[in-house]
Amino acid sequence: MSRKMQSALTFLQQFGSLFAMSPHTTPGDQRTTHFGYQEVPVDEKASRVADVFHSVAARYDVMNDLMSFGIHRLWKRLTIERSGVRPGHSVLDIAGGTGDLTLKFSRMVGPRGRVVLADINESMLRVGRDKLLDNGVGGNVEYVQANAESLPFPDNTFDCITIAFGLRNVTDKASALRSMTRALKPGGRVLVLEFSKPVNPLLSKAYDEYSFRLLPRIGQMVAGDADSYRYLAESIRMHPDQKTLQEMMEATGLERVEYTNLTGGIVALHRGIKL
Amino acid sequence: MTLPPTLLLAGIERTLNALLARDPAAPSRLARLSGNRLLLRLERPELSLAIHFHPAGLDLLRPEAPTEDAFDAVVELDAETLGELLGGKSIERLMFQGKLSVRGSVQLLEATRDLLLDLDPDWEGELARWLGDVPAHGLAEGLRRATRWGRRAHGEMRSDIAEYVFEEAKLIPGKHQFENLRDHLTELEMTTDRLEARLARLRRQLEREAEL
Repeated sequence: MSRKMQSALTFLQQFGSLFAMSPHTTPGDQRTTHFGYQEVPVDEKASRVADVFHSVAARYDVMNDLMSFGIHRLWKRLTIERSGVRPGHSVLDIAGGTGDLTLKFSRMVGPRGRVVLADINESMLRVGRDKLLDNGVGGNVEYVQANAESLPFPDNTFDCITIAFGLRNVTDKASALRSMTRALKPGGRVLVLEFSKPVNPLLSKAYDEYSFRLLPRIGQMVAGDADSYRYLAESIRMHPDQKTLQEMMEATGLERVEYTNLTGGIVALHRGIKL
Repeated sequence: MTLPPTLLLAGIERTLNALLARDPAAPSRLARLSGNRLLLRLERPELSLAIHFHPAGLDLLRPEAPTEDAFDAVVELDAETLGELLGGKSIERLMFQGKLSVRGSVQLLEATRDLLLDLDPDWEGELARWLGDVPAHGLAEGLRRATRWGRRAHGEMRSDIAEYVFEEAKLIPGKHQFENLRDHLTELEMTTDRLEARLARLRRQLEREAEL
């Protein structure tokens, strides 16, 4: 097997592992978190996450397109349309990864506004920064390596905060939502775009077939690793459903929390306002 | 049904940006428009469309409850007027007819229309990237010849059909014949009216004489 092929297979295995991680904490003497349907120590998970993100950053966009058939771009587009961002606004794009949302936001806020692309992973930030610079985006964008659970910004800083496909990977989701609400200006909006629960039983069945049967087989055929792709489906099932996430957002003090199911609830866009 | 309109808009945006990227004249036009925002409010179907210009093209968004002060120009029109606008009809005339309302910079609307109507993508250059210079030039020349021939053939066919229908077979009257006939009929109508009026006056005159 050529080195190039070996590298590609390693990448696919690691990418599968990335989606498998849906960490959360459970009470007890030792903090644990989800790794698919398994529980692993938080410290171990953190280092694995870092390694995986460092590894997949360069091809993150391509894999997202491949696994969602490109629909993730429409989901993100709808998030932007619902953001209400205007010229002069300050926007925080948490877990912004390769900068899909930041690119559009930077044009919407204009030279008087500011967009902060935050990600916990340095490699993702570097890829995002390079991509944005290649697209001519510069002056009004800042890059911050930050943990969503403890955002390094003063209270009431941003008009809009978004987190797209990132909350699932945050260890303590409630803490992250509290941190976002704190950094949000009164009147500002938090938007959470994340995998959720399909509302149609038929779609749910088809989605399960795709996730638990087809994806692992593709993983087995392409990367020789079915488990990582099974974890991907498991981690999505471990994420709070629409109602639960809505209640979690309301518990942090956000008001008028509502959600929109996209693609039959496979993904949901939650929005809350700080009053 | 949230995603289909978003998909449609994303498709239009992608197509326009791809065309703009292939038009050698587009960068200078976009540089002038960059940073401007135009809000298009369609009445039927009801739709708000925000156009954000940037150096590489434009973003099309459906903003939720947009505020007008965030835009350099706000344009209100219906789908028919949009068609006329993109068909090249004068903006001033449409405004004068009350079909088009513009608040803010009218020049931005004109520049936007010009940007879209004057699009002239360099197809040959794009083909050359894929096929090489010589095959691309040959193919482009062939397409240009075919287009010229098609236009000429279309014009000649229309002319021949018109000549046969109006002149040779005389199946229906031509436009000039029709107008000539209409003028004659109008004149006949006026003459008949005058005659009727004269007869009425004569009748009244005879009735007065009979009474005396």
